[in-house]
Amino acid sequence: MIETPPAGTASPLRGLDLAKVTSRSFYLQALFSPERQQGLGFGFALLPVLRRLHSGAGEQGKALARHLGFFGTHPVLAGYVLGVVARLEERRARGAPIEETQIEDVKRALASPLAALGDPLFWVTLRPFAGLVGILGMGLLPLADPLGPDLRVLVCPLLALLTYNAVALRFRFAGVPRGYALADEPGKLLHSLKLAMLTHIFERASAFGFGLLVVLTLSVLTKSADPAGQGLAHITLVLAPFVLGFLGTALGLKRWPGRSVEIALAAALLALALSTRV
Amino acid sequence: MIGQPLVGACLAGALWNPGPQWELWALRIPLGVGVLLQLLLTDPSLPAAQRPRDAATAGVIGVSVALFCMERLTPSVSVSTGGILWVLVGTIAGLVASVVGGWMEAPLRARNRARAARADELAREGRLRAFEALYWGGVLRIFLRGASWSAAGTVAGIAAASLILPRLADTVTGPRAGLVFAVLLGAAFASGFHTHVRAARHGLRWAAAGALAVLLLLLRVRGAAP
Repeated sequence: MIETPPAGTASPLRGLDLAKVTSRSFYLQALFSPERQQGLGFGFALLPVLRRLHSGAGEQGKALARHLGFFGTHPVLAGYVLGVVARLEERRARGAPIEETQIEDVKRALASPLAALGDPLFWVTLRPFAGLVGILGMGLLPLADPLGPDLRVLVCPLLALLTYNAVALRFRFAGVPRGYALADEPGKLLHSLKLAMLTHIFERASAFGFGLLVVLTLSVLTKSADPAGQGLAHITLVLAPFVLGFLGTALGLKRWPGRSVEIALAAALLALALSTRV
Repeated sequence: MIGQPLVGACLAGALWNPGPQWELWALRIPLGVGVLLQLLLTDPSLPAAQRPRDAATAGVIGVSVALFCMERLTPSVSVSTGGILWVLVGTIAGLVASVVGGWMEAPLRARNRARAARADELAREGRLRAFEALYWGGVLRIFLRGASWSAAGTVAGIAAASLILPRLADTVTGPRAGLVFAVLLGAAFASGFHTHVRAARHGLRWAAAGALAVLLLLLRVRGAAP
C-alpha cells in the first residue's frame, strides 16, 4: 500500500488531464522502435499529467525523460498503466515518499501481464472474430436489389468495426481513469479486467462462427456448381480444387506456421500452371 | 481495426466505384477481395513469428488494382466468369502488397532509433513543445507512408497486370480462372481454420456446433419454401 501523501505544492490532477492522456494513448505506437518499443509513446501520452504536476520546463523535461525508456504492453490496455503512473506521479509531486525506481517497477510489473493477456484477446481472438462477423454479414444479409448496387460493401465493414470497437473502445476509455482509481491495488485492477474469460468467450464464438461460414459457403458453392442437377459426382469434381486448396494450405501451415501468404500465392500459381496442362 | 483488409477493401471499393456499366460487379469485387484477404492475413502466428505483413494497405491496393484493371483490361482479357478474374487479380495484388509493405515497416522502425535519441535530448533540455512536434511528425509519417505506399502499390499493380494479363489472354479462360479461384478460396478457408478453430480451445467442437446450427436452419428454410 502506498501511504496517503501529505499536502504539497503541486496542483492535483483534473479529469481533463486524464482525458487528454486517454486521447493521446491512441497514438502510443507512432514512434515504435525495437529497443524502446512504446517508450516514447508512453512519455508523449503522460505529458499532460507532467505539465500539471511540475512547474517550469526544466522540471517537466526531467520528469518526461524518466518515462522515455523501454515500455511494452498491449496498446489497447496501455491506459491502465498510464492511469496508475499518473496517480503515483501525482503523489510523488505532492510530497509522498515514492522513489523514481518504485514508479518504474510498478510500470513494468503491470505492463508484462497486460501484454500477456492482451495479445491473445485482441490480436489472436477478437480481431479475427470481428473480421469473421463482417464476412458472415456478407453471407447472411440479403441483397436489397440483386441487380443493383451491393450495399453489403458498406454494412460488412461496419459490422466488423462495431464488433471490435464494442470491446476495445471500452478498455481504451476506461483504462486511464480505472488505473488512476486502483493505483494502490494493481492485483485487483488486473483481476477486474477479466481478460482471460473474454478470450475464452471470443475463442468459442470465433470457432462457432467459422463453422457457420463453412456450411454457408459450401451450400452456395454446391448450388452454383450444379445448376443443372447433374448429381453428386459432378459436384465432387467441381469442388475438388477447393478441397485440394484447403488441404494443401492446411498441411503447409502445419509445417510453416505464419506463411499463409506465401502458401496461398504458391497454391494459386500451381493451380494456374496445372490448369494450362489439363 | 480500420486497417483490416475487409474494411480497407470495402471502403476503397465504395470510393472507387466505377461507372454504371460495371454496377453488377463493381461492389461485389471489393467484398470478394476483402473476404479472401481477411481470411489469409489474420493468421495468429504472424505477430508471434515476427513476420510483419502490411494488412492495412493490402485491401486498399488489392481492390484498387482489381477495379482499375477491370475498367481498362476487360476488352483485351474477357472471360466468361466475369468478376471472378478481377477478384483473383485483386487478391494476388493484395497478398504481394502485404509482403512488400511489411518490408517497408522494418526500416521505418529502425529510423525511430535516431528519433528516440533526439527525443531524449529534447526532454533533457526541457523543450517539450519540440518533443511533441517530433512525436506528431511520427504520426504524420505513418499516415504519409500508408497513403504513398497505397498509391505507389496500386500504380505498380496496375502496370504489372497491364503487362502480364494481355499476354496471357489466350491462357486465361473462364474455367481456368474459376479453378484458380476455387483453390485460393480453399487456401483462405484453411488459413481461417488455422486462425479460428485450431487456435481455440475445443475449437473443433464449437465449429461443429456452428455448422450444425446453420445446417438445421438451411434445412428448415428449404423445407418451408414452396
